[in-house]
Amino acid sequence: MKKTFPVGAVLTALFAASFFIVPLIATFYFSLKMTRGELGFAAYASVFNSAAFLNTIVYSTVASLIAILIGAVIIVPTAYWVRLKVPKLRPIVEFISLLPLIVPPVVLVFGYIRLFGSNSWLPLTSSTFGTDLLLVIGYVVLSMPYMFRAVDNGMAAIDIATLTEAAESLGASRLRTIVTVIFPNVRAAIISGAFLTFSISLGEFVLASLLNRPAFGPYLVQLGQDRAYEPAALAIMSFGFTWGCMVLMQLFATKKPGQRWLPRFAQRTTP
Amino acid sequence: MTLDVSASTADLGAPAPRTRAVRVTDWNWLGVTPFFLFAFLFLIGPVLYLVVGAFQNAEGAFTFANIIELGSPNIAASFSLSIRLSLLSALMGAVAGLLLGHAVILGGLPVWVRNAFTTFSGVASNFAGVPLAFAFIATLGRLGLVTVLLRDLFGIDLYASGFNLFSFVGLSIVYLYFQLPLMFLIIAPALDGLKTEWREAAEILGASRRQYWQMVGLPVLTPTILGCFLLLFANAFGTLATVYALMGSGFDVVPIVLFQQIRGNVLYNPNLGYALALGMVVIMGVSNTLYLILRNRAERWQK
Amino acid sequence: MTSNTLKVLGMTTAMAAAFTGVAQAQTVDMDALIAAAKAEGTLTTIALPHDWCNYGAVIEGFKAKYGLEVNELNPNAGSADELEAIKANKDNTGPQAPDVIDVGLSFGPAAKAEGLIQPYKVSTWDTIPDSAKDAEGYWYGDYYGVLAIAVNKDVITDASPTSFADLKDPKYANMVAIPGDPRTGNSSMMSLYAAGTAMGGKGGAETATAGIAYLKELKTAGNFVDVGGSAQNFAQGTTPIMMDWDYNVLAMRDKLAGNPPMDIVIPSDGVIAGVYVQAISAYAPHPNAAKLWMEYLYSDEGQLGWLSGYCHPIRFNDMVARGVIPADLMAKLPPAEAYEKAIFPTLDEQSAAKAVVAETWATEMGAN
Repeated sequence: MKKTFPVGAVLTALFAASFFIVPLIATFYFSLKMTRGELGFAAYASVFNSAAFLNTIVYSTVASLIAILIGAVIIVPTAYWVRLKVPKLRPIVEFISLLPLIVPPVVLVFGYIRLFGSNSWLPLTSSTFGTDLLLVIGYVVLSMPYMFRAVDNGMAAIDIATLTEAAESLGASRLRTIVTVIFPNVRAAIISGAFLTFSISLGEFVLASLLNRPAFGPYLVQLGQDRAYEPAALAIMSFGFTWGCMVLMQLFATKKPGQRWLPRFAQRTTP
Repeated sequence: MTLDVSASTADLGAPAPRTRAVRVTDWNWLGVTPFFLFAFLFLIGPVLYLVVGAFQNAEGAFTFANIIELGSPNIAASFSLSIRLSLLSALMGAVAGLLLGHAVILGGLPVWVRNAFTTFSGVASNFAGVPLAFAFIATLGRLGLVTVLLRDLFGIDLYASGFNLFSFVGLSIVYLYFQLPLMFLIIAPALDGLKTEWREAAEILGASRRQYWQMVGLPVLTPTILGCFLLLFANAFGTLATVYALMGSGFDVVPIVLFQQIRGNVLYNPNLGYALALGMVVIMGVSNTLYLILRNRAERWQK
Repeated sequence: MTSNTLKVLGMTTAMAAAFTGVAQAQTVDMDALIAAAKAEGTLTTIALPHDWCNYGAVIEGFKAKYGLEVNELNPNAGSADELEAIKANKDNTGPQAPDVIDVGLSFGPAAKAEGLIQPYKVSTWDTIPDSAKDAEGYWYGDYYGVLAIAVNKDVITDASPTSFADLKDPKYANMVAIPGDPRTGNSSMMSLYAAGTAMGGKGGAETATAGIAYLKELKTAGNFVDVGGSAQNFAQGTTPIMMDWDYNVLAMRDKLAGNPPMDIVIPSDGVIAGVYVQAISAYAPHPNAAKLWMEYLYSDEGQLGWLSGYCHPIRFNDMVARGVIPADLMAKLPPAEAYEKAIFPTLDEQSAAKAVVAETWATEMGAN
């Protein structure tokens, strides 16, 4: 391939980057204006001073990570199976995976309370652990469309039929095939899905609020009531925090044994 | 269950005798049971009363009134508006995401650029609602940063030239902020799957870039692109908070009409809201079917 | 007091109660109620933002006085959400089930009709105006406010507008906003209704039609901004003239602390008051805590708590007559003359207006 300077690619990347960053700059600039007449971090100080900030963000981070695990464990084998063994079910599975985008979350949570309330056949809401579990499951459901589509695309890109054949001809059981052959090959796709799950779950409001759990979403809304500058500061902070978590996830998940922690800047080819 | 080896894409050797065939298919169904169990318990189950409620009135009696009301001019217009907006937004997101993906993943840029865009997309794909609406108001609103800069530095009056953030086009641009990253994230694995050997082989045979994309690249990617388009469409269709925060009362997409009925302080007919949700599910069913037809045609050349 | 005096007082009160017929204000046994509530230990509320009528301080006061826990669900809930939450939690006694609700006036009878609330009459029942309560005690008005206009003085540097008619002036191009969608939010609905009253509407459907015509006129003239007015949009400058309940804009003024400076105007040509009502859920997991909460809210202490949030408590007139309102609190409210012309739309008028808005808003304002 000819190695010319990728003008088109650079311009596209720059244009996209500015489309993303300029609105954030505008929000950041507004958040600095809390003290009249000067630019300062008063809005941020006001947010940090509220005790609930650290508690809720830790709670939500943990809940989101668990949701990623559960989501991956349910979706990856299903996507694999549906592609390989039961393609007739694929339209149904795809349709189901899209439903959470259409069902309003408030309907979902009221359904949970009816189905799993304290007088029902599985009283999850009677205990704190049960309600936490219900919340995490809710997150898995909400992120299902993204997780499924990402993993499905990842599987389309690799030849799972041949991989499966090869693994089975070497004597691997189905479970071992999934865990040691399929999972690592779709790891990048799972990471995409994981990112989306994380960012959805961290700021999610309706489920956490109506199930009465101390998550970050309700805290964000509570602090944003009637205030002008703190919500902008919070938006920037939660954006930065989520991005930081994703960078960490990316580093941990794609590091191969013996690989450097930071990429070499001179590298020009994709790994 | 009949022996259906032809349905599976894995060639597991010679066709097995009948008894073993039954065990094979049983095992296959078991593979998807966890998913269906999970979906029934935690997605379809809780939502069933929504379906039931769509056919009830406030007193609980069975009625078709809500469904009939879906055909009323106001609601039919909302469905039309939602579909148009979602189609435009999905198209913009798909094209932009594909271009960005191509530039960042296949364009010869350093690896850290891809990582930066990937992680950023993870966050931006869910940046919606009031914070996003406000970010755009602060940028492209009448007193927004960019509007003011354009006016003061370049003498361009954005609003005088006909642009308005609070319009159909403006809203699509705001939607792009989360549609573009979503498309980028989801199509990335597929772009990775475009083997460099294919590109090299095409070049050896004398193909130009355009021919490569036309005859090799896009056909391979089409099923995936269609799937992503469907996801973007559904995503845009279900968006509520961003529209409400940006457009106040001036834009009656279906989720807003639903919101008025289920959650509002003024109107209150939750059964109509359930009927609206049912209508949305039907539309999703129809678009899913369309997508399947198109995808089957696109996948014909694959085994 | 000696026990004899107590007995006499008790008997006369009981006789008075027997004679007053419909409004049976039985004396509530506070000690038994407090003990029963403490046994339950918690109260679950819903839709009570801390900055709305200073509910933050009211809840803290309740917790401090009786040592109960308060579980606060979804502060962003609308009135319909609250009824939906009761319905969804009928069989659930966990902390997701609300004990008490605070909803718009028209939702009181709706909740009663659906069997979602239980009757209770607080000890100060008689001092609540009859027009603001259900005769059988299912729901009772708690506070009211009037529709006001907030003006961003950074953007509007000369004299503020003083009436709805003023807002038609071309110098307010792209400035006037309502809190959101009148079909969804009560405050937006009442902004429309107040504008309609200012334009001469005499009540109910007529006022709603006049209000929609007014907003349409503003939109055609280019004065109306379609974005929902919020503290953030107000401060940023996109919605520098914003209509909302007086208690909301007064609280906003406190929060913004002069950045930007703002004026609060009670419009001279149309003053509409809106009442909210309290009720106890029929399925409340903690009914005694709920009743104690009501007693607290309707005591002087609770009512003054709301007043510190700029909401006019429903027993305002009674408390003024008894002289129990601190002077400094009175000074922070807008001048009393503005409230004298306040009109309280009745339930019928409100439902007629809502029907008109539901029918014609979309077509008139071009939402499709």
